Amino acid sequence: MTNSDEHESLESFRNSFSYGSRTDLDFKFLKSLTDDQAAAFLQDVLRKLGNAYDSGDAQPLIEAAYEAQVAGYMRGPGAPPPRHAFEDGPFTRLDKQLGDARVGLLTTSGHFVAGDDPEPFGVKAMTQEEAVARISESLRDTPVLSEIPSDTATSDLRVRHGGYDIRSVLKDTNVAFPIERLRDARSEGTVDELAQTFFSFPGATSQGRLRRELPGWVERIREEGTDVMLLVPL
Amino acid sequence: MSVGHVGRAIEESGIATVTVMVKAFEHRARELKVPRALIVKHPMGRPMGAAGDIERQRAVLNAAFDLVESSTEGATVVEFPEAYRPRPLDA
Repeated sequence: MTNSDEHESLESFRNSFSYGSRTDLDFKFLKSLTDDQAAAFLQDVLRKLGNAYDSGDAQPLIEAAYEAQVAGYMRGPGAPPPRHAFEDGPFTRLDKQLGDARVGLLTTSGHFVAGDDPEPFGVKAMTQEEAVARISESLRDTPVLSEIPSDTATSDLRVRHGGYDIRSVLKDTNVAFPIERLRDARSEGTVDELAQTFFSFPGATSQGRLRRELPGWVERIREEGTDVMLLVPL
Repeated sequence: MSVGHVGRAIEESGIATVTVMVKAFEHRARELKVPRALIVKHPMGRPMGAAGDIERQRAVLNAAFDLVESSTEGATVVEFPEAYRPRPLDA
């Protein structure tokens, strides 16, 4: 919206939440809704907000936003076919009990250890805001796999990712990088041991370049002697 | 969808994988034939559960482990039954 004399359309309003004048990554799905879906969503949220004035219960608001987000990401009947699809999936059976297994972690949350910043585009200490602003460049870039020792203190973890809202993750790493929950599982004997090194990278990256990096990544991951890998995409 | 390619490559190398994905990504799990997908009914950016909700984070992790032990073929998709909740006030 550049000309204040013009009325802003609902479409322009919706789109502005996705890397626009109103960027809010929790609500970038508004761009993917139709005008009718977006109008119904906003009406529903306001009605439930009115209810919350009396009840104090935000859960119905949260559920309305969740359902609209799922609808925004669903592939509609008229959508083009997916760019990446496979007929069947690989399968490796776990040949031991989980309590005897060594477990690893890889997330696309964009975590790294303080002092080991992957420095995208050569930028030192890039902020989350800059990562969001440079999302288009990230989507054409080669991903860097960060190595995170599994005994890293959570206070030494950093996170940056231009594709999702990191507010929750900043409050609690385990929301997306469940390092403490895995340490709990080891302490309780649910698993035998943890890989020495966990891994993370920002998943908003070039898919072609990612696939070229994969053989090297898999070789590195195999050095950990892991039986089971927990994967968490964002 | 980066994790789909990563998960397939790791699984092909002989390591069992399990992927925790929010419901908004379910179609991608099915298209990419992710080896084992646990679908959580959480908003994007909060796959394991709300900040501070240790109980939910544990339950999601245990459901992922259960899926590793119970699955008998690739592209197995299971939904975690509980809806998202903010951190319980008494936690």
